[in-house]
Amino acid sequence: MNKFLKRGIAAALLGSMALGLTACGSSGKDESTGKGHLVFQIWDQGQKAGMEKVAEAYTEKNSDVTIEVQAVGWDEYWTKLEASATSNSMPDIFWMHSNQIYKYADNGILADCSELVDEADYSEISVENAKGSDGKLYGVPKDKDIIGLLYSKEFFDEAKVEYPNENWTWDDLEKASEQIYKETGKYGYMAYSHDQIGYWNFVYQNGGQILNEDGTKAEYTEKATTDAIKYYTGLQEKEWCPTQDVFANTAAPELFFSGKGAMYYAGNWDLVNLCTTYPDMNGKWDVAVLPKCPDPENGDGRASISNSVSYATAAKGKNKELAMDFLKFLGSEEGQRIQGESGAAIPAYNGLEETWVKTFADNGYELSVENLIDMFDYSVKYVNNPSRPSWEPKVEQTMLDIYAGNVTVDEGIEKMQKLVTEAIEEN
Amino acid sequence: MKKKSRFDQDHKWGYLMIAPTIIGLLVLNVYPFIDTIVLSFSSAKVFGGREFVGLANYIKMFSSGEFWRATWNTVLFCILTVPVGVLLALVIAILLNARIKGKVAFRAIFFLPMVVAPAAVAMVWKWMFNAEYGIINTVFHLNVDWITNPNVVIITVAIVAIWSALGYDAVLLLSGIQNISRSYYEAASLDGCTKFQQFRYITLPMVSPTLFVVLIMRLMSSLKVYDLLYMMVGEGNPALSKAQSLIYLFYRESFISGNRGYASAIVIWTVLLIGIVTAVQFAGQKKWVNYEV
Repeated sequence: MNKFLKRGIAAALLGSMALGLTACGSSGKDESTGKGHLVFQIWDQGQKAGMEKVAEAYTEKNSDVTIEVQAVGWDEYWTKLEASATSNSMPDIFWMHSNQIYKYADNGILADCSELVDEADYSEISVENAKGSDGKLYGVPKDKDIIGLLYSKEFFDEAKVEYPNENWTWDDLEKASEQIYKETGKYGYMAYSHDQIGYWNFVYQNGGQILNEDGTKAEYTEKATTDAIKYYTGLQEKEWCPTQDVFANTAAPELFFSGKGAMYYAGNWDLVNLCTTYPDMNGKWDVAVLPKCPDPENGDGRASISNSVSYATAAKGKNKELAMDFLKFLGSEEGQRIQGESGAAIPAYNGLEETWVKTFADNGYELSVENLIDMFDYSVKYVNNPSRPSWEPKVEQTMLDIYAGNVTVDEGIEKMQKLVTEAIEEN
Repeated sequence: MKKKSRFDQDHKWGYLMIAPTIIGLLVLNVYPFIDTIVLSFSSAKVFGGREFVGLANYIKMFSSGEFWRATWNTVLFCILTVPVGVLLALVIAILLNARIKGKVAFRAIFFLPMVVAPAAVAMVWKWMFNAEYGIINTVFHLNVDWITNPNVVIITVAIVAIWSALGYDAVLLLSGIQNISRSYYEAASLDGCTKFQQFRYITLPMVSPTLFVVLIMRLMSSLKVYDLLYMMVGEGNPALSKAQSLIYLFYRESFISGNRGYASAIVIWTVLLIGIVTAVQFAGQKKWVNYEV
């Protein structure tokens, strides 16, 4: 082959390789759009449309900015985010979950947002969930969530049981379950192994705690906590409650919407999705406040776990200035209102709960979601401390071991106490 | 002198030409592999920080019941899937080689599972194995907890693994069988050999190199089983801690609990395990694999 031709081909090959490499490296500012291009990463496909609406409202005012919303799955989201934080190539704006915020905030990954917003504008739980260990805001409060009781009107009617109301106690939950099981052969209350949506609610209703106030001590062996965990795990002994084996085969929402069970607990963030996934079920089910504890160790027997998500940006982001400006908008009354009206989530901003409630009626969904808002009066902040990532998987495993009978409840509770205590000490 | 420089020139171009592949290999495979070994002797902190801890991860690993359970599960999974899977693939390959009507259609049907995404395969099988509403328990009037009984779940996953790989292995073996010259069979039948004797003394030795490749590949992928377990058993299943494989344990430690160092030790052990099994295979092949045509 001609020498020059050979060299030419080699050069072309090398050239294309180099191009490929630079193409991977380019990101951030888009030259064609002038001022800037922001990448906004979230983990919930169901909220993508809502986030795009908020972004649109911002870009309408700032025509030289473009914002791209990217939704990835929950597991992948955290793998990606950690890798991008390590290599300093994080998305310009991203959601931060309270599970992870200490890890990111305490390692200096997140930008301090204290100056951007006024804490007083948001509900207390949302603000607390956006703070690092040093008490500074490392995100702008986005929303707040709550746990509610979903029930099937059909099975309640069939078994001639009164619908759940705000005076319901655990006893009523059991009685109704029994009645429904007897009359219809369907499961009653489906108590599946879960912390936030499951036993935590019972613990706090009973006046117990998982961690002490400042998150420095495990409280599993406290009497009120132990009793509530025993009560919750004991529910699966009842004939009207599916075992954990059943849930491993078919998850509670699937059982509920395929007409196999009458009640389960769910987070409010699921509701819009459930309405759109099961349009035929519209009007056949509803949500109620959580039944309270009839004889709490202390307190009034009411509680519902509330968590929240924040908007955050990287401390060393390339488009930090622009990102901070957009963050400010996301936290503003306007940005939060659009979020609420899109039905994506209950805004963290005080007094905007109604925007979220209204979307259900506007779309023709017959759900009494205003019940959920009432629970914010006595909601309890999601259990969290900096060492949670290391104890949470082990505690969850221990709960499953209790359910499977590998350990007794007492042994399991002792073990969880030990696991959390060790994790706190190591941290 | 002149000759030598010419020789160098050729070398230079040679290296340049393979550079894209080699650089890719070094950056994407070799470097991460070495880094994983280093990581297995470290305690990984978040965001890339790490601290040398010597053999601590390995000591923790070898004294962990969970780890030995995962190793046994992985080996058991191999024992369940490899012999049955490869044998079935061989039988199917022979049947697909027969002169029957609709041969091409049958080949396509058996290959079909390879075309389907593994996640979709796992989802559909999970529904079929559903203890309460699944088709398998319903049709056979069984009451087996296919995916929650710790003693059964590995068998369940093995069935799906065999089913998914069968078509691919069969097609590979079929191509091996088709390369055997017809004249051997003609000579054998003239000598009065039965069909079984033809299989035993012609087909089997002649297809043995392909069989060896299939065996090695199946063993390696069985030792690395993860996706089916993740999709079919998954978090929240009470049987998971008793049924997880090595790679699943690696995933949980690495990506859920954030113990990168310990997780790296697990994965290095898995590599060693695969290496040993493969070395044994290669040593054993002299006894039964025939490379003479």
